[in-house]
Amino acid sequence: MNKHVKNLAPETSDLSRRSFLVGTAATGLVLGYAASGIDQALAAPAPANFEPSVWYSIAPDGLVTVTCGKADMGQHVASTMAQIVAEELGANWKDMRVQLASNDPKFNDPVLGAQITGGSWSTMMNFDAMSRAGAAGRIALSEAAAASMGVPASELVVRASTISHPKSKKSMSFAEVVKSGKATKTFTADDLKAIKLKTADQYTMIGVSVPQLDIPLKVNGTAKYGIDVMLPGMVYGALVTPPVRYGATVKSVDDSAAKKVPGFIKAVTLDDKTTTTTGWVVAVANTYANAKKAAAALKIAYDGGPNAKLSSESLLTEAKRLQGLSDSGQFFVKDGDPNAAFGSAAKVLEAEYTTNINIHAPMEPMNATAEFKGDILHIYSGNQFATRSGAIAAGAAGIDPKFVVMHQMWLGGGFGRRLDADMMVPAVQAAKATGKPVKVIYTRENDMTMDFSRPLTYQKVKAGMDGDGKIVALSHDVVSAWPTARWGIPDFLTPSVDKKGPLDSFTVNGADFFYTVPNHYVRAIKNEMAHNATPSGQLRSVAPGWTFWAVESMIDEIAHATGKDPAQLRISLLDGKGKNDGGAQRLRNTLLAAMGLAGYGTKQLPKGEGMGVACVSSQERATASWTACVAHVAVAPSGEVTVKKLTVATDVGTQVNPDGIRAQVEGAALWGMSLALFEKATLKDGGIEQTNFDSYTPLRMSQLPEVAVNVIANGEKATGVGEPAVTVVAPAIGNAVFNAVGARVRGLPITAEAVKAAMKA
Amino acid sequence: MPNLNINGRNMSVEAASDTPLLWVIREQLQMTGTKFGCGAGLCGACTVHLNGEAVRSCQTSVADAVGKKITTIEGLSAKGDHPLQKAWVAEQVPQCGYCQSGQIMQAAALLSKNTNPTKEEVVAHMDGNLCRCMTYSRIQKAIMRAASDMRTASATGSERRAT
Repeated sequence: MNKHVKNLAPETSDLSRRSFLVGTAATGLVLGYAASGIDQALAAPAPANFEPSVWYSIAPDGLVTVTCGKADMGQHVASTMAQIVAEELGANWKDMRVQLASNDPKFNDPVLGAQITGGSWSTMMNFDAMSRAGAAGRIALSEAAAASMGVPASELVVRASTISHPKSKKSMSFAEVVKSGKATKTFTADDLKAIKLKTADQYTMIGVSVPQLDIPLKVNGTAKYGIDVMLPGMVYGALVTPPVRYGATVKSVDDSAAKKVPGFIKAVTLDDKTTTTTGWVVAVANTYANAKKAAAALKIAYDGGPNAKLSSESLLTEAKRLQGLSDSGQFFVKDGDPNAAFGSAAKVLEAEYTTNINIHAPMEPMNATAEFKGDILHIYSGNQFATRSGAIAAGAAGIDPKFVVMHQMWLGGGFGRRLDADMMVPAVQAAKATGKPVKVIYTRENDMTMDFSRPLTYQKVKAGMDGDGKIVALSHDVVSAWPTARWGIPDFLTPSVDKKGPLDSFTVNGADFFYTVPNHYVRAIKNEMAHNATPSGQLRSVAPGWTFWAVESMIDEIAHATGKDPAQLRISLLDGKGKNDGGAQRLRNTLLAAMGLAGYGTKQLPKGEGMGVACVSSQERATASWTACVAHVAVAPSGEVTVKKLTVATDVGTQVNPDGIRAQVEGAALWGMSLALFEKATLKDGGIEQTNFDSYTPLRMSQLPEVAVNVIANGEKATGVGEPAVTVVAPAIGNAVFNAVGARVRGLPITAEAVKAAMKA
Repeated sequence: MPNLNINGRNMSVEAASDTPLLWVIREQLQMTGTKFGCGAGLCGACTVHLNGEAVRSCQTSVADAVGKKITTIEGLSAKGDHPLQKAWVAEQVPQCGYCQSGQIMQAAALLSKNTNPTKEEVVAHMDGNLCRCMTYSRIQKAIMRAASDMRTASATGSERRAT
């Protein structure tokens, strides 16, 4: 799939070869990397339409505008980037502003070399670059101020957007320095690297819960999301999507009834060479209401294609078949020889864990607005992966990606859904067919049935223990669709240990845990049938959302089978030996913190109640953060589970905005609970059965438990916080249910029926 | 051409009488603070007031709105300073923010009748409004804060009148 973007490897970042410039342009001070447009901006005499093309600029009025190359979908990442810049720059928070970047490669992530937002990567990967950008600005402004005041730069103090010289009591505001036009300085890559950044004890901004810059816009209706874009002459597109999720084709379209709808312009059958969509038709009209009426009036005949008979059951049956084959899949981890070790183990446990299809369902349904203007295709859409989405839009238009400008908007929820670019295709092809700017808006039904969902997964875990109950071997097979393989970008795949070609580590991340197990393998098995029938995507936290469900449930099963306390067993496995040194100890400490805060093991709970623990290191081992949860549940005789309290502890290293972190961790934990108990999608006859919030039912306010979020900031580097807490909650709840009523449930979501059945078993 | 009274202004719109009010507000009047979420009255993102009552504008036809006072997030307060809006900022409620216009409008209808709601009343009143970022606990706190501010303001107001 997506063959046309096959060579779209993320551009390697060449920032090391660029110089960082600070200079005065027509609109104020601009700061950024050379060969990124800033040099031209600086050279151009008073450009009429100067667009700040760099990380941030300072206007003559002293306002500092940070350009954020990350998608802001509620994690307030734009504000976080501004906060990191402001710390080193010495700016007053009230002077900080943010704007969202276009898809120009100059805004690529300095570590990833592409514009992509996910993985809880943004803060950890941009902290250093934004800090250095801020510091470079401070140095340039200080030197200019020193020259103006006639004092040594080394005697200046920069605070709250003011540069002052305590000895002479002289001072200049940032605005005055910018207006002077004297702030000009070039930093080589080595100069930038040599800048001595502040140490944690010098922070005045990092670690402070300053108000998020985007929040005022979001309480008065003025924040502009993709769906809010209005262009002159714009018309609207409503989709008709086929009953089959993927693989259907349109045989015929009868638009005779649609033509009677006032304002109807045209029905466009998509010709999607990017293979992102199949069998979609878009009805274009002067208003969205009319477009929807016209869409409803179209009579479309389909060929259901090869997946039209498939169901969740078929995908699961196929997954089990594949797992049973000795030669399927590729190894992600292979330490020692588990199979040999099982032979000599005193005890062997085996269990199967499943998760159902899950739908992102952000509150803002998918949408995109496309406009051809001369040679340039303009796309307006909130998007998490501008680099690839621009290429998909280009593919849909039949033009080179360099002619596509992506206008980033606030995202009405992302959660990984907006990494995908399907919405570009109908917008682009409708705009092309009508010669007008077109805004395509998915109905909720389109959005749910055409989601790039979290795939159905099947995992088999086998553990071998010696006579003392010590785990000597663990094998873990993970069968799923491969969400990231679908991108066709080799750099996002991982070589297999057994050299059988690249595997999609976004299906097995987390299974390479920080526990010490001498013989351990993890096998990634692609469920081709599911991959084709239910093209999967990255749902908040991705693989750790299922791998830790299996691992953390199994650890508890082992503990119970060997007569150990599940939390104590984890602590003994987190001994920090070998490759686990460092991470294991942090995870252990986080678990201990959560246990202490929850009062784990310190009180007698009423009958039918229990506490369960889990600890996780999502997302990838290389970008791990440390999160533990104690879930306290009450289970009714009917099997119904009520979550009384979630106690979450998370080691984030360095916290930029403590209040923002708490918001993210709480939201993530509740996502975890919602996936654990309330969210389930199913495939039948090739189509997703759930179409709206009556049948796909995320957590509502009345289901809210008490959530206690505890943040450990120990001075290590900043980690990500948007995702890890999602993954820790389901196993903690599952383990709590077992401790409450002795029912072991191995499939998500945990339903009352499954609990009741397991209680009887 | 239906005539609508929206945020205190009379505006004529060009739309068939069965057109959902939501799309008329967003597209013709270009007030995009009111959001489309589900089109079926299941999520509350499109909540506006009709004569002070919270309604789902995706389930309300233009015809149903004629002759009534429509209030959207843009018209809830003159300067975006309704006690709920101030409380939403103070509690740093929004994450993605997409559902929050609807949440605020839904909450405003409650507080206009009852400035001293119990937690249970808040939950019962707000349960139809989904927040996919799961900001529910902050929404509750913000409603309680706004209610308290409104009670204080009203107490201060009556004292002033009394003196």
